Amino acid sequence: MPARATPAQYAVAALIALFLLVFLVIPVLTVIYVAFADGAGGFTLSHFSSFFHISLMRESFWNSLYVGFWSVLISSLIAIPLAYFTVRFEFRGALLIQTLGILPLIMPPFVGAVAMQLIFGRSGGVNLLLNDWFGFTLPIMEGLNGVIFVEALHYFPFILMNLVVALNNIDSSMEESAQNLGASGFRLFRRIVFPLAMPGYVAGAALVFIKVFDDLGTPLVLNQTNMLAPQAYLRITSIGIEDPIGYVASVIMVAASLFALWASTWVMRGKDYATLQRGYAGLAKRRLTTGQTVLAYGWIGLVLLVVLAPHAGILLLSVAKLWSFSVVPESYTLAHYAAVFQDSPRMIWNTVLYCGIAATLDVVIATAIAYIMLRTRIPGRQALDFTVTIALAIPGVVLGIGYLRTFRGIEIPFTGELLTSSWLLLVLAYTVRRLPYALRSCIAALQQMHVSLEEAAENLGASKGRTIRRIVVPLMAGGMLAGFIISFMTAAVELSTTIMLVTAQNDAPMSYGIYLYMQSAAGRGPGAALGVLAVVLVAAGTYLSHRLVGRTGSTQPHDIQKIGV
Amino acid sequence: MPAPNKVRVDVCDVSLAYGRTQVLRSVSVTVEPGEFFALLGPSGSGKSTLLRLIAGFNQAQSGRILIGGEDVSRVPPWKRDIGMVFQNYALWPHKTVAENVAFGLEERRLPRDLIHTRVAAALELVGLQDYGTRRPGQLSGGQQQRVAVARTIAIEPKLLLLDEPLSNLDAKLRVHMRAELLALQRKLGITTIFVTHDQEEALSISDRVAVLDGGAIQQVGTPMALYDRPANRFIANFVGTINLIPGRVERAADGEMLFASDTIGHLPLPQGAPPGAAEMAIRPHALALARVGQPGAAAYSWLEGRIAEREFLGEFVRYGVVVGELALTIDVPHHADSVTFDIGSTVQVGINPRQSGLLAN
Repeated sequence: MPARATPAQYAVAALIALFLLVFLVIPVLTVIYVAFADGAGGFTLSHFSSFFHISLMRESFWNSLYVGFWSVLISSLIAIPLAYFTVRFEFRGALLIQTLGILPLIMPPFVGAVAMQLIFGRSGGVNLLLNDWFGFTLPIMEGLNGVIFVEALHYFPFILMNLVVALNNIDSSMEESAQNLGASGFRLFRRIVFPLAMPGYVAGAALVFIKVFDDLGTPLVLNQTNMLAPQAYLRITSIGIEDPIGYVASVIMVAASLFALWASTWVMRGKDYATLQRGYAGLAKRRLTTGQTVLAYGWIGLVLLVVLAPHAGILLLSVAKLWSFSVVPESYTLAHYAAVFQDSPRMIWNTVLYCGIAATLDVVIATAIAYIMLRTRIPGRQALDFTVTIALAIPGVVLGIGYLRTFRGIEIPFTGELLTSSWLLLVLAYTVRRLPYALRSCIAALQQMHVSLEEAAENLGASKGRTIRRIVVPLMAGGMLAGFIISFMTAAVELSTTIMLVTAQNDAPMSYGIYLYMQSAAGRGPGAALGVLAVVLVAAGTYLSHRLVGRTGSTQPHDIQKIGV
Repeated sequence: MPAPNKVRVDVCDVSLAYGRTQVLRSVSVTVEPGEFFALLGPSGSGKSTLLRLIAGFNQAQSGRILIGGEDVSRVPPWKRDIGMVFQNYALWPHKTVAENVAFGLEERRLPRDLIHTRVAAALELVGLQDYGTRRPGQLSGGQQQRVAVARTIAIEPKLLLLDEPLSNLDAKLRVHMRAELLALQRKLGITTIFVTHDQEEALSISDRVAVLDGGAIQQVGTPMALYDRPANRFIANFVGTINLIPGRVERAADGEMLFASDTIGHLPLPQGAPPGAAEMAIRPHALALARVGQPGAAAYSWLEGRIAEREFLGEFVRYGVVVGELALTIDVPHHADSVTFDIGSTVQVGINPRQSGLLAN
């Protein structure tokens, strides 16, 4: 067991608690308070009742739930066969499919949404061809369909990734014993394999639901404002920070996200699947029959084609001179890139600056929390982890509104500048929103490190502080760097809080720039070009992070000897 | 539970390789109906592979497997009607104990009330009738193993396969469970094959044992036959502890057979043996120790030796004795007033050729 915590450790824990309190808990509580407070500071449900009396709000509420559920359903339909094929069968191209897993981190849905309209919209390439060949069109991008389609295509990898991990963790004897007792084929999958992979599926599905609820950019770009996130945003920005309806929408969004998070853990309560079995892990790989091969590759080819459409689309759009009512652009140009480099180098710099600071803060805080969680017995350490995890379920719009309300009128010391009009607030919002990602990789890195490595250092005369500096941090470095990069790249494409908190064009990062460009038909080209640049920037980061995660992945407990040398 | 029809299992000339690694080399063995049969061998000997082949989880490159006289080589695992208990039990954590046991019956589309009775009967047979609603994670290792057994026998399989069934249990429980498994097998009368690397386990409960090494069967026989008459060096070393003395079998001038060894001289051989290079194999407890000068029993040939090691093991004391260039292991039964020998002391070592076996080289 860890020894008594030192005063320095208590001080660090207190500092982190204070940070989370000021920049996460209080802003969110403020939003909730305003939604339930009458003018005199008493409790009231009248804001909720007026919210549900506005038909647009009622519609937005149902639309958000509708889009959330359908997005999860369609994501599942895409992800489950892909996961099963790749894990269960000897399969060429499994790597390609797993690479798909990182697409939504690289390119958020709002970037590809316009390109999707050009490909799948009423007068988009696919429907033009369908109409020419068969005389009918598909309303894929009509209204909420478009939002669902775009969200599902971008977020299905969350289910895919979690399901692949879960399937890989199933002991082969689990399946063999079912075969031995007479089960085979689809019944085997339905009764044994899928239920055992359920924790992974549920975690992925909850994440998709939360992400879709959180997403402000896609509905705005597709002009579907009758959903909760756009309504909250529009109420606050058009009517004002005092308008309670925006707060009510926010509270409902938080409640729905928290519910999804809670439901995913509740469904799995008391079912500790992973730890029960040991021995040879992983389902046995099978060879596909010819018929199955054709079916599997056919399905995967189709999915890949559709999934890669927004990415290909945005690339085409960025070099298209003219693209409307045609399958592919009619002529090409590099002028959009020139325009972007002329207009917005400032935005690119801002993204690097903001996300760099936020990711650095994330790694520092996450390392400290991981250490406190796993190596000390400071009371309330679980609460730190819990609070950070809750941040996952706080939509960006809500955090933005919370910040604007909580910090209004507060000046930054010595400069006299308002905190709410400073880019600092944006950085802090990024920090809080991306902290859960950084925390996961730091905890994983520290968990893989056997405590005896630290005890050996202490035994040889190193103090706690020096042990952390000379042993813990160097050994965690891979995980910390991976955490940094994941935080950096997801913050770089973050839009929900960005829209809320950017006050001056000069302070805007790339994600905001893309969004602004996409507002006008003329801006699509430069917007797409900026999107491609963001993707390149972030893809480089992703590649780096996978290299690093791959390396730290080898530091399993049984490798202690190797690390120790 | 009705007694199942006892089946015979014939493994005929089965070979299997993974890439270039030959896992099984033309293995042939027959398991008689109702027998409790052990596959014994060190890890990597191919014993588990052979068991999985019988269950249908592996495909042999050549050879046939007959169960009840019927070739099952092309029958998938789920149509073989063979029960298998996995080493890690493979209980499904998302199902209760009763649901686990009911699974195989449901796959056979039995009516609901029949499933219910059979599940109850199977759980009662293993003494877990009150645990049906628990989850596997809430049970101890021994209980999990019983559930795995109940789940398997509930389908009334023709054949029961046990893959290292006791290896995940602690030492005390292991001894208890192996007696329980044997009692259950005798009660059901079902042909049973079990895999183990533990020779004590194999010898203590099985009717017959097949010892595997390097993917080939080294010897098949009753536990006593393996112990008393090992067929080769591997069996001699693997089953129990043994002393091997290199030498030659010779015919003396008077026609008597002799075992001639450079280190221990000539010993008369009571049993007939072909002349030639051979090794004499003697169990540690078949050797005797006596003080120098003390007259020894006439049935023994006495040699001089020096005590090099001594281990007290409770029921007996195990000595390492150097005789010439030979290091022998000798077990002397221990009781409160028995004589002990100190390390470094010189002693007489008695060898009784009647207690020895000969392994041809």
